[in-house]
Amino acid sequence: MTGGLLLQAVVSGLLLGGVYGLVASGLTLIFGVLRIVNFAHGAVMMLAMYTSYWLFARGGVDPYVSVLLTAPLFFVLGVVIQKLIIEPNREAAEHNQLLLTLGLALFLENLALVLWQGDFRTVKSAVAGASFVLGDALVDVSRLIACGGAVLVALGLFVFLRTTDTGKAIRALAEEPEGALLMGINVRRIRAVAFGIGTGCVAVAGSLITPFFYVAPDVGEAFNLMAFVVVVLGGMGNFVGALLGGFIVGLAESLGAAFLPGSLKQLVVFAIFAAVLLLRPAGLFGGGRGR
Amino acid sequence: MRERARGRRGVTISRRVFLEMAGAAAAVASFPVVIRAQAREVKVGYILPVTGPLAFEAALALNGVLLAVDEINAAGGIKSLGGAKITLLPGDTQNKVELGNSEAARLIDQGIVALIGPFSSLVAYSVRQVTEKNKTPFLLLAAVADNLCEGGLRYIFRMQPNGKGMATLTVTNMVEMAKAASTPIRRVAMMHEDGNFGTTMGNHVEAFAKTAGYELVQRVPYNLKSPDFTAELAKVRAAKPDLLVISGYYGDSKLIAETAAKLRMGIHALVGLANAAYSNPKFIGENRELTEDLFDGNYWHNPTSARAKAVFAAYQKRFNAIMANHSVQGYQVTYVLKDALERAASTDREKVRDALAKTNLADHILTQDAIKFDDTGENVNASPALLQVQGGKPVVVGPARYAESKPVFPVPKWKA
Repeated sequence: MTGGLLLQAVVSGLLLGGVYGLVASGLTLIFGVLRIVNFAHGAVMMLAMYTSYWLFARGGVDPYVSVLLTAPLFFVLGVVIQKLIIEPNREAAEHNQLLLTLGLALFLENLALVLWQGDFRTVKSAVAGASFVLGDALVDVSRLIACGGAVLVALGLFVFLRTTDTGKAIRALAEEPEGALLMGINVRRIRAVAFGIGTGCVAVAGSLITPFFYVAPDVGEAFNLMAFVVVVLGGMGNFVGALLGGFIVGLAESLGAAFLPGSLKQLVVFAIFAAVLLLRPAGLFGGGRGR
Repeated sequence: MRERARGRRGVTISRRVFLEMAGAAAAVASFPVVIRAQAREVKVGYILPVTGPLAFEAALALNGVLLAVDEINAAGGIKSLGGAKITLLPGDTQNKVELGNSEAARLIDQGIVALIGPFSSLVAYSVRQVTEKNKTPFLLLAAVADNLCEGGLRYIFRMQPNGKGMATLTVTNMVEMAKAASTPIRRVAMMHEDGNFGTTMGNHVEAFAKTAGYELVQRVPYNLKSPDFTAELAKVRAAKPDLLVISGYYGDSKLIAETAAKLRMGIHALVGLANAAYSNPKFIGENRELTEDLFDGNYWHNPTSARAKAVFAAYQKRFNAIMANHSVQGYQVTYVLKDALERAASTDREKVRDALAKTNLADHILTQDAIKFDDTGENVNASPALLQVQGGKPVVVGPARYAESKPVFPVPKWKA
């Protein structure tokens, strides 16, 4: 039975880890390019989940379809946030920028609370409830789709950053801001695009988890916290590190839940977090600049 | 468990409703001559989190109080006081300790004979000092933390079961029902959120094991914001329990039930203990297939009581909604005070307190014997009901004498 439990823990840890990875990818991209820690990341995820919810509740749109809408919509939202809120404060002290994103998070969460109340809302997708057994382990189809979708988007983004001019410009800006400016890269535009892609990533993650999760104003907080751990684990600004870090955190959480007493599973995650900060401050996969 | 963190809702609407009511109260207060010309009045204060994160639940509780007060006044007020009408004085705690204290003190200054409230155990724990110091009877509404009546207080009274009563009586109801179905419960697993509410429930279920004759084979506290419970439930399944008990809030309880349904747990039943979701009509409505046959131990009304039926009809007529269990509590606690006022025949707080201490109220709508308070102010007969979702509705299946339907146990779909 222990073998079965181990397999189950590994499977569910990996499935959740993919989602953590995608959320963290957006966060790490924003950090790499803009050098700001975006506390509003979880709140944006929550907005994307409500978008999927309302599209489902009012239009009957399946969340797996609405993800095609939320991704571009939240890319635009990210660009707007960057241009209107973050960019004007670029020269401000770092802690001010930090407070700015924290304030934005509080604003968005309370806006959601006023607009939609604290009710837990749920979405029923066509595949909701479907599952199959692999060996001894239960595989939830909606979680599998979320994980697969997250990994696909992350890989697509990786290719985008490697091969396209815009992608290269984003990496250049993360690597060497002044050099990028001197080479004639429109850094304002690139910063906005990077922020847009970051929020787009987290919006995709949000839409993909609505079929098996619930929607509430503070739903993004847990994911936001995990994403910070993942980003530090993978190396701040390290894109591939974020995805791998997501799987590590998901596994650690799940194995901790299966084999440790009580609610120690998050202790495992935060112990890893503290250990990495102490022993490898640059992250497991090397410090990030533009990788 | 009534101080559940789940409901952060209705801030603007509730505040508006609250202001309207406060306005109405102010309007009444500005014509005291007219009212006194008709009859004396009895001022009763309530403090509830009518705005803030618990606004929705608080409104439900308040509706019950309002319904009872209107009934009492329409039926001629407090007869032993010459037909004096009850005047409700409102107080808003926003679920904050400081506001609970200051609102209680303000209402006491305004001459209330007793205070009803305040929903949250955290606020109650602090306000009880204010009422004690001012020698004002304090009737707890919804707050269930074990420690509220501890400490040799004279003026606090609690009609509803406390945490210990909720946990041990629910488990007892389950065990007895299982015996009657000749499928005894020997192995129990418990999952609970790791805050004050869940941990208290977990402690009681663990401590009660020997008395009730079961073994607690697995106890899993969990973080209520966790996005996945598959590993936890796989661990529980490996311990081969007969019964899985869940004390949690809304979202976590939902995820656990959904995941457990897929995992083929091989249990006799999934049981909520003061669960925020499993007997909640909204949750049941949104998850018809999943929730069918779920159990929950919670405070409830007596469905076999003719009076309860009439009250439910009156509530439906006035608020255009099914009376919720919080509303039942608000309604009944108001009648406990009314009964004491009749016997005290006085608005002196000390006399009202003494009358409350001698309460022996058999005419009520709860699933228990007569309401009586012990020396600490706890209702000695307080009892939760055992509910099961049948046909998309929570129905009482235990204790047997209040049951409106036969329990489905063991539950085939959980056993499979």
